[in-house]
Amino acid sequence: MTETPGFFESWFLWRDPLAVAVIAASLCALVGVYIVLKRIVFVSAAMSQMSGVGVALAFYLASIAGVDPHHAPLYLHPLWYALGFASLGAALFSFNLGHRRLAGETVVGLGYLTAAAWVIMVLNSPRVQQEAHEVNDLLYGSAVAVPPEQIKIMVATALIVGILHSVFSKEFLFISFDPEMARTLGLRTRLYNLLLFLTFALTISVSTRAIGALPVFAFMVIPPAAALLWARRMWTVFALSVTFAIFGAAFGYYASFQWNFHTGASMVIAASLPLFPGLLRLRMGRS
Amino acid sequence: MNLVELDRVVVGYQRQPLLPPVTFALKPGTFFGIVGPNGSGKTTLVRTMLGLLKPVSGAIRYPGHKNRPRFGYVPQKEQVDSSFPLSALEIVLMGRFALIGPGRRPKASDFDASRRALDVVGALDLADRAYHALSGGQRQRVLVARALAGEPEVLVLDEPTTGMDLPSERAMLDLVASFTREKIAVVMISHQLGAVSDYAQELALVAGVGRPVEIGARDQILTSARLTQIYGSPIAVRSVSGHAVIFVEHPCDSGLHAKIDPEESP
Repeated sequence: MTETPGFFESWFLWRDPLAVAVIAASLCALVGVYIVLKRIVFVSAAMSQMSGVGVALAFYLASIAGVDPHHAPLYLHPLWYALGFASLGAALFSFNLGHRRLAGETVVGLGYLTAAAWVIMVLNSPRVQQEAHEVNDLLYGSAVAVPPEQIKIMVATALIVGILHSVFSKEFLFISFDPEMARTLGLRTRLYNLLLFLTFALTISVSTRAIGALPVFAFMVIPPAAALLWARRMWTVFALSVTFAIFGAAFGYYASFQWNFHTGASMVIAASLPLFPGLLRLRMGRS
Repeated sequence: MNLVELDRVVVGYQRQPLLPPVTFALKPGTFFGIVGPNGSGKTTLVRTMLGLLKPVSGAIRYPGHKNRPRFGYVPQKEQVDSSFPLSALEIVLMGRFALIGPGRRPKASDFDASRRALDVVGALDLADRAYHALSGGQRQRVLVARALAGEPEVLVLDEPTTGMDLPSERAMLDLVASFTREKIAVVMISHQLGAVSDYAQELALVAGVGRPVEIGARDQILTSARLTQIYGSPIAVRSVSGHAVIFVEHPCDSGLHAKIDPEESP
């Protein structure tokens, strides 16, 4: 009887997926700090669904054009469509979300529900049904099998988002903290807000494909929330949030490998671990 | 030369006029008070002047400026989110972001200017304290320091003394009035008529939606008859040692107050 190789013996199996998961989780946790502080956590869920519409539409169009979706030309590549639709959501949500008659969160809910309905409709159309499993993987990620191009795309995304957040950190912070004062001082708040939301769109559309919709949503909310319970300065919030996300992705992946858990769910549970001592500390009045 | 000119500006939301046309000009080193009942449109008028709202009609001009003068804005402290883990100094530093320029990091000189602004408002000792841990009055000082850090030509304050006790309120008003000596034009919104009238050279009385905004010197604007009409309660204005003192007659205890005779008021 042959024994299944252990985690560390089979590093060649998990090296790439784990690298992608850690990068995606770190990126989500970085931009998630703004999402939590701006109190727009459901925007990430809605944008994730909107990027899903793009993926489903790309498959649908490929089937109409009679093109094999796995070898689709650039203009039918699901990633571009995902990015396009997520960016559309970014533009929609970055402008004034609220209205006297319609609260901002209602607009986000409408975006989520409409996008979810479109995804279901397209996936159930006879043209795409054969590819449904493939589309599902692209929509919600598998976090297990990662093609080499995925690593390159993830690294490139991390670089773009990281550079934008580093260069415009003070602008992003100011427009999130006090947009009115920022506008009064002549900062182009709409432009910076759109840019910030586009970094959310890029992160969501690429990370969802890599690790799945639930982990992306979770990494955008849980590590920043846990970090806010512990940190007293903005830079420590970012540092702790990314640290918690790396721990969640790495330990969650390890646990799923060792004990055969669902990878995405395992990462989410691992990421939520630092929340509990933070909440306990808050309860004890030390925060 | 005027810093800001409002020429028959109609303010409102979604093209719906809120107030009739308003015309006034701000000169460097003047203190302009905007007073009136709650919900009368004072903040809307100021937000329009700051460019946060588009006027329904009319023109806002900034003579002598390519774009607009440097504004400093102190919003009502409740409008500022205290859940961000920021120190007082970090918040004051934000006032300099427009001067620093997009994509650039603050330099040592920006930190120095922010500390000086905190010092001016008497809050230098709060520099490293978390903003959320400060009292209401301390937060207000930090927000004034943030506005000053941007080296404003026009400083706009929205109800800066709300929730303060009397000595703190006077200290804040003295401080704000002192900025006019640096040729900063101060625009202050308040519903505390008496306090503002002691400092403002010119007052705008915003009576309410659809009612004309009256602008002029304190003695012209704050009259018993006018205030009684606007507030719908018998109000008397008296001058005590050069200060305007405003009395409101309560229906239950009219005996405790001087009998109001609109003819006696200034």
